[in-house]
Amino acid sequence: MAKVKSVLGYSVAALCIPVMMVAVLGLRLPMAPALILGFVSATGLKHSANWTGGEVVQTLEHGTYRTEVHRPVFDALIGEHKKGFIQVAWRPPDALPARIDEEIDADADGQADFRIRLEPATKQASLTSYSPNVIELQGVYNLDETLAVRVRLKNPRR
Amino acid sequence: MTAQALTREDAPRMATWKALLLTLPIIPVAASPVMSALSSGDLLAIIPGFAISILLIVVFFRMLVTGRTHRYRSALFISLAIAVPLHLIPQLFELYGTNMLTPEMTYAAKARFCPMTVGAVLLPAVLKGVVVFPGVIAEGVVWFFMWIGASLVIGRGWCSWGCVFGGWDEFFSRLRKKPVIKHVDRKWRFLPFAILLAIVLLSAITFHPIYCEWLCPFKVVSEFEAPTSLATTIALVIFPLTFLGLVVALPLLTKKRIQCALWCPFGALQSFFNKINIFELRIDLDKCSQCKRCLRECPTFSLDEGSLVSGKALMSCTRCGQCVDACPKGAMSYHIKGTRISVSPNTARLLFLYPAYILFCGFGAVVVSDAVWRVLRLITTGSMI
Amino acid sequence: MHGFLLGLANGTSCLALCAPVLIPFLLSEGDNVRQNLVTLAKFLGGRLLGYLLFGLLAWAVGGLLLAAGGYQALLIGGTYVGLSILLLVAAFRKKKPAHGACVLSDAQVRFRRWPALIPLGMGLMAGLKVCPPLLLAFTGAASSGTLGGSLLLFATFFLGTTLYFLPLPLLGAFTRMPDLRIVGRFAAVIVALYYLGSGILLLAGGVQL
Repeated sequence: MAKVKSVLGYSVAALCIPVMMVAVLGLRLPMAPALILGFVSATGLKHSANWTGGEVVQTLEHGTYRTEVHRPVFDALIGEHKKGFIQVAWRPPDALPARIDEEIDADADGQADFRIRLEPATKQASLTSYSPNVIELQGVYNLDETLAVRVRLKNPRR
Repeated sequence: MTAQALTREDAPRMATWKALLLTLPIIPVAASPVMSALSSGDLLAIIPGFAISILLIVVFFRMLVTGRTHRYRSALFISLAIAVPLHLIPQLFELYGTNMLTPEMTYAAKARFCPMTVGAVLLPAVLKGVVVFPGVIAEGVVWFFMWIGASLVIGRGWCSWGCVFGGWDEFFSRLRKKPVIKHVDRKWRFLPFAILLAIVLLSAITFHPIYCEWLCPFKVVSEFEAPTSLATTIALVIFPLTFLGLVVALPLLTKKRIQCALWCPFGALQSFFNKINIFELRIDLDKCSQCKRCLRECPTFSLDEGSLVSGKALMSCTRCGQCVDACPKGAMSYHIKGTRISVSPNTARLLFLYPAYILFCGFGAVVVSDAVWRVLRLITTGSMI
Repeated sequence: MHGFLLGLANGTSCLALCAPVLIPFLLSEGDNVRQNLVTLAKFLGGRLLGYLLFGLLAWAVGGLLLAAGGYQALLIGGTYVGLSILLLVAAFRKKKPAHGACVLSDAQVRFRRWPALIPLGMGLMAGLKVCPPLLLAFTGAASSGTLGGSLLLFATFFLGTTLYFLPLPLLGAFTRMPDLRIVGRFAAVIVALYYLGSGILLLAGGVQL
């Protein structure tokens, strides 16, 4: 028994070398990027909506530019948080008018919940709330190919 | 840096020809820096790449010939820690013009992943497929596989052979000749586990990487959130203080790796891998003279009175080799679980050194090489970018 | 029935939100499974008390509180601070074994027993702070005419959520290991500091962490 354990021990220890080679150097192989992206795709891993702003649920065309309204984000590990935000973005940033004045329906009930007035050049924005679930303007952000605002919301379901 | 006069009977030296032969398999791995530099075609990168590759081969050879692990590992480990900001921060300036993360950068997931995010990221990723750290997911997956493979192989040896930050408190812990604070209460060893528990729970609840946002001291040498709100401004005060306290001051005063041993939750997570890892540090109780030198030398409080009875290091052992080199009787050794103690300790040490060195060469050495290149660029062109 | 079913549906949320407080606390106390059941009962009792108190308050002042926008930050910030103080007290107090031979005055006995109220207080703070039933009771009580109806809804909701807390005393099986108790105490302090910081920032002006 002792001999078996000893042989097994040395064997596992020796196997550690190729395992470490694969773990550290295997990721430089030509097929590695495809495998990694395949893994990400297969597992469905995605960023928390806290970072991405959530999916776009409504698009409003304005000729040279469009407004993208994301879903309200109250994501939690279990259930939902009591407070969250909604991201509204305008694209493309170089085709935006000098002043944006838009009413947004955050909860898709057909009624506007708040109004945003925004000057893209200076990133000055103001918020007028029509709903008790709208808390405040969180900020204005230059994101990839969009100019976005985030508005803090209370979760109407909690 | 002080060199301790270590005397040891029966130092496991190796014949030069044997050491040369056993160093050969390391050469392709140690060539990582020069291979990486050759692909750039820049002579300023090739020269340090070549030099570092040669250095790595020589160091491994010396480890085998002298039988000493710690002093060589420590030098490499510290050089990696110093190299990381020299490599990463200019890279961030090249990409984004800053190493401060603005809200735009976090919303665009441009933060850089590091293995320390695992504790915060794992639970939401497994339960909901959601990554709560704002970094490129593919980069995170790369880190994940490297981390899991390395951890299964060398357990918490990651903390002494692979961690890109641990060399900082190792550096400061080695500056003084003698400690000013000689006794640290045993209960503080459990703080990293408590931090791990707290950040796993809080990160899962809030969907934010709590440790990264509030507690990580190494934002000083990497990237950090720009102070755009009261919370981020407070965080901007906290992390330099934790760095000064846990990484600089306390290691200086105690001559121990305080951040690694008594704070880092990632280290606590790594400790669990020691339970399943095939390698360990063992004391041959027949040889041990109970001098307790290993207890005093261990930088991570991983040996205690109980170890001198059981013959085993604690689960927090980082396999740094300091106790092995310090033991005057040669009673401490690397050991493979399931095998007999003190039978072929050289073989066990060698089988550990190979994967540990592969980890360092495969990743850390390229970082060091790039850092040297950037310093040379600074000297020759006035800019690291 | 409606309240109970709602509780079953939302109970995992309650458990998830109370876990950062409860798990470190139960680990740090170092009690066995039976004692943990008592502690949990006190915590849940405090939680129920918090809901019922708030439901009563909501019925009494109704829409006034709904309209006063700033109150939530003050209430939640205040409960965060209170919760953190209780957690810190629980983590730092030394539990001494009972001295059966000592003759203690009545006042001394009562004073010594006050730590038993810590889980009750934590449950009260947790109930006011984090659980979904807070707003449910609030809106239900504020909009309905009967206090009894909303309190009944609430009590049954509470029962539904409580089922998810029942496995927690099993942590007592692990607390025989003294090392885990130390981990629990440290974790309780860390969680307490997090809520203290959150509470202070909320009181200071509704800053989101």
